[in-house]
Parts: sequence; structure tokens; C-alpha cells
Amino acid sequence: MLKFILLVNKQGQTRLAQYYEHPEHDRVSVERDIIRKCLAREDNQCSFLEYKNFKLVYRRYASLYFIVGVDHTENELAILELIHNIVETYDKYFDKVCELDIMFNLDKAYMILEEMVMNGRIVEMNQNRILLPIRVMDQATQ
Amino acid sequence: MTEVMERTLASLPMFMKGELGGPFGVSRGFQTLIKAIGESQSKHEEERIMKKEVSYLQQKLTQPDISNKHMKELLVRLVYCNMLGHDITFGYIHALKLAQQGGLVEKRVGYLAVSLFLHEDHELIMLLINTIQKDLKSTNILHVCMGLTAVCALISTEMIPALLPMVEDKLQHPKEVVRKKAIMALHRFYLKAPNMVQHIHEKFRKVLCDRDPGVMGASLNIFYDLIKEDVEKHRDLTNTFACIMKQVIGGKLTNDFTYHSVPAPWIQVQLLRILGMLGAGHKKNSEQMYAVLDETLDKSEINHNIGYAVLYECVRTVTAIHPNPALLEKAAERIGRFLRSHSNNLRYLGITALTSMLPVLPGVAGEHQLVVIECLDDPDETLQRKTLDLLYRMTGPTNVTVICDRLISHLSTTADTYLQSDLVTKITQLAERYPS
Repeated sequence: MLKFILLVNKQGQTRLAQYYEHPEHDRVSVERDIIRKCLAREDNQCSFLEYKNFKLVYRRYASLYFIVGVDHTENELAILELIHNIVETYDKYFDKVCELDIMFNLDKAYMILEEMVMNGRIVEMNQNRILLPIRVMDQATQ
Repeated sequence: MTEVMERTLASLPMFMKGELGGPFGVSRGFQTLIKAIGESQSKHEEERIMKKEVSYLQQKLTQPDISNKHMKELLVRLVYCNMLGHDITFGYIHALKLAQQGGLVEKRVGYLAVSLFLHEDHELIMLLINTIQKDLKSTNILHVCMGLTAVCALISTEMIPALLPMVEDKLQHPKEVVRKKAIMALHRFYLKAPNMVQHIHEKFRKVLCDRDPGVMGASLNIFYDLIKEDVEKHRDLTNTFACIMKQVIGGKLTNDFTYHSVPAPWIQVQLLRILGMLGAGHKKNSEQMYAVLDETLDKSEINHNIGYAVLYECVRTVTAIHPNPALLEKAAERIGRFLRSHSNNLRYLGITALTSMLPVLPGVAGEHQLVVIECLDDPDETLQRKTLDLLYRMTGPTNVTVICDRLISHLSTTADTYLQSDLVTKITQLAERYPS
């Protein structure tokens, strides 16, 4: 299962944080440590890292790092592609997403993720279906 | 700050009008906040900005008569503060109220804020029951969906009885998005209190055969956990899962389930994991899946990561179930493709797959010796660690000295304490096993 999804920029600033488990008390310092470790990696190294008793899968897109924490049952490559699917879905909704899109539309960014992952499990990966409830809501409130 | 950031901040006016990203304009306060966060040069400065924001919001929220629209924006700002680690307890009740009273989008943001601020054991969650119940009964599908999404994020065990009948009812809803969310809500109930959903296992089986592939796909999450808990009870479903897999790889799903030429890859991965559990140590079950596994190994697309992900999962399944020599040979050959790749990700998975194959096909590592040595010498620490693990498991009386030397030399060069203790354990175990 997925434990969390983090979006951070190259300076290590958090842009989105979704947890699927009740996080530990020192969430902020654990986050900082995870971010530091991922940002220190070189481009040609593995996108997977062992961290404490779980794993991290991360990928960089321009100025944003997507970091997903998973337990040992997950297929790391499938999670890496989950990240890519998230980016493609954001691209579809925001018309080529950039960091500021996420910052100005944090609620929408979270809502899109909520359609894709529930209970820390992958639920919907079909991009049209992910965006449907959000688009219907946008139209209804125009 | 990067050049890209500077350029995008320069085009800030476009974001202000809400022209990009969404139809809603934002207030000056919000613009200022985002600009400040974006321009902050240090964690220290970010802290200062957020502290100011928190006290502003705290004071603002004491004012009466805040419109729902304005409250929505204030809540998003609270979400920022919460995300960056600041205490915004004063805001919880406002999030709850907006979920209760808001119109469509405000209600949605209210629910979102509640699920980000609170966890299931929080006493305020109980106040949401009525709101969720009302939304589940609504004729507006979006309300129903919001309610179900909130259930997945927030439900505590005490709340299950009040909501179970309504959620169960939604399994028959005409819209697939509602059925899909209902099954995930029931999954959540199962995780929290398995005994409370025992009476509806039959209904889960019906959902597995739902006419909509998305709903079926979501139900796999429940079945994964059910089978993990009690594999015997679900052995009779082996053929069903094998058939579904056959249909998926046979292109029976519509095009929008395809991702980079692979049909519903994450559903395939889930199915493969389930098949792996059902076939493990069970000859008859395994025989029911050999054909579809063979087809999967043949069909796997290898010009994209996602194809490799499915292939990797298939190899894992083949290794886990009752051994079929032909399948194992094919799987071993496919592993070769991972190992020969230039991508460290694929080599990492290749080494992992190789390690899991050792008990069933002991000679397999020998075939790929050269590549394994290369991985050992790669500067990528993640790859090194996996390879060291493989080496450890490959140790036999003939190569124990060579392998121990390797492990010891890595022990002396690594600074990672977890790895150090892991290596020490391995070396000690080998020394005990082969005392000479």
C-alpha cells in the first residue's frame, strides 16, 4: 500500500502532502529527511530508495519532485508509473502543469489525487474517469 | 530561485484572474501568500511568512458572517499552513461547517480540509456523520461521491454501523463512479473492522463481475486483502481471476483504459499479485493460471516502463506459484532483458527478480554472473545493496570465500548504518554456516 505522496520543489519546499496513514508525531522532520535524501540523488541512480522500514519511489519533473512512500508489497516500477500518470493527468487538467498551477489550485491538485488513490490503494488510473467528477463540478459552478 | 520560477512569477497576473488552472478568481490575500511562499529563499523565511498567515487566519475566523465562498479560500490557506507543519486547530470546526453547509464546490473543499486536518480518532469526526448520511442520500451524484470519498479518508470504527447500509446500497447504483467509490468505502470498513462486513462477501464477488472494468478494478483491492487474510476461502475464484486477466490482456477493455499501449496495467499488476497468492504452494490452482501467465510473458510491451512493470510482476508470480519449468525458463530469459538494460531501475528489478528465483531455479544466477558483478560495482547504492543481498543468497560451499570477501569490502566502504548492520549479520551467518 501507499503510505504517502509528497510533492516538493528543488529547494525542498513542500507543495503537496497526502498521507494515507496517520503520520507519526515528528512528521515534519521525517518529511525533511526524506526530501533531503531524494534531492541528493543523481539523475542516473535508481528511482527507488530503502528508507527505515519502507521504500521511497521518486521522480523529478522540472522543478518538482514527486516522492511516494510504499510498503514492501508494492511493485516499484508500477508506482513510478503511477507518478507519471499523476503528472499526465495534471497536464490534462491544467494544460501543461507547472509548479504555480499546483500552488494556486492546491485544492484541485488534492482532489485529483483523491480520485486516483483511496485507502492508500490505487483505484482509478483512467485519466478521463479521474477528471470527470472534477470537470462536472467545474461546469456546474460556472 | 530558478529561472523558470522567475519567469512564471512574472506572469503572475494571469494566475490572479484565474485564467489558468480554474474558473475561480482568488483574493489579493491569497495571491500575496502564494507569491511570498514562492519567493521565500529559506525555510526560516517560509516559517516567518506562515506564522504571520496563521495569526491572520486565526483572527479572521473569529469574525461572524464570512461567506461560504470566502470561507472556502480561507480553508485552502489553512491547508497550506497545516501542510507546512503549523497548528491550525482553531480552523477544524470551520472546515466541518463548510462541509455541512456549503454549496457544491465549497462542500467539496470543506470535506477535503477535514480529511487533511483530522484523522479517524479525532472526536470532531463524529460530527460529520449526519452530513455524510445526508450526502449519501442526495440525488446529486457529486454529493454522493463526496460523501463516499470522505468515508474512505475519515471513518472510524464507531461510525461504521451508521453508514454501512447506505454504502452497501450504493453497490447497485447505476453510475459506475458511485459503485467504484462504494466498494472502496467498504474496503475501508473491512480494514477497520473485518467482522462488520463479513455478511457481504457475496456482494464483493458480484462486484468482481461488474460490467464496468473500473469497478472491477477497484474491487481487486478488497480481494487482495481478503485473500491475503484467508487464501483457502477464495481458492474457487482462481479461474475467475485468470479469466479476467485473459480478457484484459486480450484487449477487451476500451481504449481509455490503455496507458502507453498497455491495457489497464495497474489492474494487470493487481491480478498478477492475487494469482500469485492463490497459486503459491497449490498445484491445482497454479495449473489454472499457467496459460494466462505464459500469454502475459509473451505479450509484454517492452518499450515503456509500464510494460516492464507488468513483466516484472508476472515474473514474480511465476516464481511464487507451483513451479512450471517452461514458464520458469521463459521468466528467467525475460529477467535477462532487465539486467542488460542501461536503466538502473530495470537492473534493480532484475536483481530483485533474480533473488526471488534462486530457490526455484538455483542455476539462474550463474547465467547472469557478469551482469551481477557489474551491478555490484555500480556507484548507485540502492543497486549495490540489492546485489549484495543476491550474492548472500547465492552463497554455497564453493563460492563462500569470494562472496564473504566482497561483503567485507563493502562493509568497510559504506557509511550507512542500516546497511552496515545488515552486512555484519550476513557475514556472521555465513561464517557460522561454513566454518572452514
